[in-house]
Amino acid sequence: MLQKPESGALPIPQAEREMDGSHDGETQALTASQEMAPSPLLQESPEEDLGAVREEGATEPCLTPRGARALAAKTLARRRACRRLDRTVAELVQFLLLKDRKKSPITRSEMVKYVIGDLKDLFPEIIARAADHLRYVFGFELKQLDRKHHTYILINKLKPIEDEEEALRGDGPRLGLLMMILGLIYMKGNSAREAQVWAMLRRLGVRPSKYHFLFGYPKRLIMEDFVQLRYLNYRRVPHTNPPECEFSWGPRSNLETSKMKVLGFVAKLHKKEPQHWPVQYREALADEADRARAGASVRARASTYPW
Amino acid sequence: MQGSTRRMGVMTDVHRRFLQLLMTHGVLEERDVKRLQKHCYKVHDCNATVEKLEDFINNINSVLESLYIEIKKGVTEDDGRPIYALVNLATTSVSKMASDFAENELDLFRKALELIIDSDTGFASSTNILNLVDQLKGKKMRKKEAEHVLQKFVQNKWLIEKEGEFTLHGRAILEMEQYIRETYPDAVKVCNICRGLLIQGQSCETCGIRMHLPCVAKYFQSSTEPHCPHCNDYWPHEVPEVFDPEKERETGMSRPNKRSLRSRQH
Repeated sequence: MLQKPESGALPIPQAEREMDGSHDGETQALTASQEMAPSPLLQESPEEDLGAVREEGATEPCLTPRGARALAAKTLARRRACRRLDRTVAELVQFLLLKDRKKSPITRSEMVKYVIGDLKDLFPEIIARAADHLRYVFGFELKQLDRKHHTYILINKLKPIEDEEEALRGDGPRLGLLMMILGLIYMKGNSAREAQVWAMLRRLGVRPSKYHFLFGYPKRLIMEDFVQLRYLNYRRVPHTNPPECEFSWGPRSNLETSKMKVLGFVAKLHKKEPQHWPVQYREALADEADRARAGASVRARASTYPW
Repeated sequence: MQGSTRRMGVMTDVHRRFLQLLMTHGVLEERDVKRLQKHCYKVHDCNATVEKLEDFINNINSVLESLYIEIKKGVTEDDGRPIYALVNLATTSVSKMASDFAENELDLFRKALELIIDSDTGFASSTNILNLVDQLKGKKMRKKEAEHVLQKFVQNKWLIEKEGEFTLHGRAILEMEQYIRETYPDAVKVCNICRGLLIQGQSCETCGIRMHLPCVAKYFQSSTEPHCPHCNDYWPHEVPEVFDPEKERETGMSRPNKRSLRSRQH
């Protein structure tokens, strides 16, 4: 039986290429992208009973040996493409887990370079599936740090257990230092001059370039590690002479803790209640309300994970 | 596609926390794994009965299958303790180490690995490893630095050190067995009993077959005069005891291991 011309345009040349033994990768990539884009020519034909495979164009029953071979080859190629896609998703999940253990944000270009490769046109689908796995299997939420730079981090969605995390990770002291700095920044109106930060630390016996048994080299920890990990932002204050720099909260701090939590920490340090600082307390309340609203809208979007 | 009728397990926060903590540690002994499991139940589902560990792990593995990873159980080569690690099913060599170590450090590990596999005892001396420092790929490394790197490998449970000599940690064997077999097919040694990769073990002096120490322990458990299973010659080595977890608890030898549970994992 002859194929209808409009339905045969794309698939037939592809099938022929497969029978010529063309490069696998090419065929797979093509099949994969055809898989993703809903085809207007998609029709189900009862005569095709090769494992109920949907045809993207060649919908006329191909009962000739050549047609059957083409169909079988296409099915095989599609299966291979799906498996390849599955494996890429799995590799991306592992890559993200490994990178996250070092607490460094992961960029889209890194993901493409080390994992995704020539499937980069499928990046949105791959990363969405990886995010689903991370959420369902491991309890991590993949969050984009900022839209412009395509960097991502993992946030732990499981409820935190104070001493368990510290004992396991051994990051306790360093994160304690970070909390002190976040506290200072918040209480000073969401930014603190570099000089103020060092003054506070000096009162704790911590000097910038003197090796500390808990923090290592504090200057490196704060200026490099915390900034690189996006816990802190560091920028030049304009119109200052001599030039001064200031710290503010980085995007990871906003994700991993909150103004209310940090205010609570500061309050405990001073053995007072958070309400003791009415301005900061009001600001923290407003922040909590914002978060609650943002959380509600996320929950409204149902999870797409099949299980 | 053919419908997959494999029944897939269900993940709850109990399982997720278990996975997260297992990943943090890299590798855990069975006793600590059981404690970890109980801890996860206590935190997330304190009223549920704690599932039998084997079923618990099989359940998680059925979910992990589509991610090409699994929780694998192995046994330490020196004293037969059961250990568990989350391993890659699709082997890409030293991939898990690749995120923690620089190029020259990874190459140092590869060199140590080769020496260990080629050796007769399964151990490579510190001196022999350090002598290869000039051949490393990547940034030039001094011997002093290499000593630190070797210690990092020990801390991260990729190598074990005994009296200045290094061998593979059970974790490395669990994670890299397939890679090692594929990369060094001629040099690799295999246990005559369990057919698994063998780094440390005992060997018959007549016919040369090798066995893991725990395999020797089990095989000769109730024989008064051990004979080589292959050539029947008298087995000349001391037969170790079969590992008994119950005995461990009584003698209170668990304390040193408790410390290792809390030690920081990179």
